[in-house]
Amino acid sequence: MTANAQGAGRTRPSWLSRFWAVVRYEMIWNIRKKKFIGILIIAFVIATLSWAVPVIFSSTTGQPISSNPDYAITFGAGGSFMFFLFALATVMNSISSEFESGTIVPLLTKPVSRTMVFLGKLFAAFIVILATYTILFAYIIIGGIAVYGPQNNLQLVPLSLLGNVVSTFIWIAILLAMGALSKSTIVTALIALGLFLALFLALPTVSVFTGPSPALNYVPGSGASGTMNITQGSNVMSMSINAGTDYIGVNLVNTVLYSSANVSFTKLNFQFGQNGQVVQLPPTPLYTEPMSLVALRSLGVAFVYIFVFLLIAWYALKRAQVLE
Amino acid sequence: MELAVETVGLTKRYGSLVAVNKLDLKVERNTIHGFLGPNGAGKTTTIKVLVGLLKPNEGTVKVLGQEVRGDMPDVRLSVGYMPELPKFPKHLKGWELLDIYGRMYGLTEQERREQIPKLLDMVGLKGREKDLIGKYSKGMQQRIGIAQALLNEPELVILDEPSLGLDPVGMVEVREIVKEIAKEGITVFVSSHLLFEVEQICSHVTIIDRGASLVSDTLQNVSGMLAGPAMLHVEVAKMSNAVVSAAKGLPFVSDVLQTGSTLRIQLTTREDVRAQVSQEITRAGGVIVGMSLEGSNLEDVFLQLVTKQQGGKAQ
Repeated sequence: MTANAQGAGRTRPSWLSRFWAVVRYEMIWNIRKKKFIGILIIAFVIATLSWAVPVIFSSTTGQPISSNPDYAITFGAGGSFMFFLFALATVMNSISSEFESGTIVPLLTKPVSRTMVFLGKLFAAFIVILATYTILFAYIIIGGIAVYGPQNNLQLVPLSLLGNVVSTFIWIAILLAMGALSKSTIVTALIALGLFLALFLALPTVSVFTGPSPALNYVPGSGASGTMNITQGSNVMSMSINAGTDYIGVNLVNTVLYSSANVSFTKLNFQFGQNGQVVQLPPTPLYTEPMSLVALRSLGVAFVYIFVFLLIAWYALKRAQVLE
Repeated sequence: MELAVETVGLTKRYGSLVAVNKLDLKVERNTIHGFLGPNGAGKTTTIKVLVGLLKPNEGTVKVLGQEVRGDMPDVRLSVGYMPELPKFPKHLKGWELLDIYGRMYGLTEQERREQIPKLLDMVGLKGREKDLIGKYSKGMQQRIGIAQALLNEPELVILDEPSLGLDPVGMVEVREIVKEIAKEGITVFVSSHLLFEVEQICSHVTIIDRGASLVSDTLQNVSGMLAGPAMLHVEVAKMSNAVVSAAKGLPFVSDVLQTGSTLRIQLTTREDVRAQVSQEITRAGGVIVGMSLEGSNLEDVFLQLVTKQQGGKAQ
């Protein structure tokens, strides 16, 4: 071992090679996190149950399993909990734990900038989430074909995947921002959990009284609920639509499948009867929007949240002083 | 004089607390420079500014001739740094850690394959490279900390308390490693609170307290800077008055105290006058069986400077 060419300095490596080193550093961490592995196992168990239960039921009752050509594209769309939990497992301690454990010190004293570290962590999360959702989707498709027969609209799976990743990235951005600001994993997790529960539980509850206010579409979550009427031949089919950021994948798929469809938002009306029972009154029509607008708006809202929170996270990391 | 590190008026404040106060620091290239100071003196803060972890409030910092202003990754290409009690990701194996850090330095696969086993061998972790760092002992983490600091064949290595947490054998090994890397032409800037360690390995020393430099010079000059005479202890067989008189008669002797067969000769010079003393005592009929020169050492200087700085309160 000799000192590197006295005075000349080491040759400057390319930005990309250093960036990939950070991505590698982060990816190994992500896939070895126990909570990530745990949530992945839970997701696989749920996916397995979704087609294993009908098989068990059919084998015990002797009734044949009815075909369901939309199983994969519907079930693979995921949901609010899945997006939140995968985001939580992947990046909850991505920044905060580096500060808590002190591993940020050797990392930031390597020839990598803080921006590069931040982008590397972000890209690693993207790869891990995309790979996880792809594997899960593939598993659901295989199970769906095996149990429910040929599946429709599989060409739209990439669109659904993209939507799911974007939905997850809202929480990833929020968690990274909280982590970079607080530098505490527990604080990050509690704030994120509180926010998720508030959005997941409180907003739908409020919307029962206020109706599907357009304002609901501008906060992360399920958004306003509406109905889309689809005419197929002589049949008119009614489909429930959620306009929020947790349904980007579903809504993008619906936009492609039913490009000219409109979504109607109505306020449900209730009245208490004389005996105290709840009587449902005719709903009040509020507004109608094209399906494409619903999908694009949720995508736009998601990108704004992702951008703002990532900007906060990046700035906080950039300005952070490593005191410990 | 080519400098590896130079700070001018470096000041770092945490709120109202001044951690580093107008520090002027010069570390010559190809030296082992010890950075000493009591707890809270500002050593680690200074080092963190040098490696870009903290931004100074005032002053300029140059590392390997390049000015450091916050997060400048390219400056760190030729710098190796081991933090105090280093912590590495527990989920990585020893080899993976060095491999990933090597990639960050832009080492090719070939370079990594050559460099990593060599370093693991050097720090005594050969055979443990496939273990997770989470299973490493404190001493092993310290060792891999040294290995990662040398990964990029740096021109400057900054070690913050490298012996902290090590057992005595480990401490000796670390000292040997530091000496070895210095032989390769690498400048070593080492912060330590172990004065004997610094005395053994360093050629230059800077002592700081309350964020300010108290002294910075070669180890020899710093060790010898205490005011006051040196003392020569001479053990003489066949002690006689003639021997005592002969010693007293020397021009550089101010006082002689006889205790049994031992003479304590107080000198007015700090030069090595043992030959002349020996000659004079022998001429007076004494037989010298032992002689030692007692001068100030680094510990004396450190204590005197720090005590003075802190208003006379002993540490």
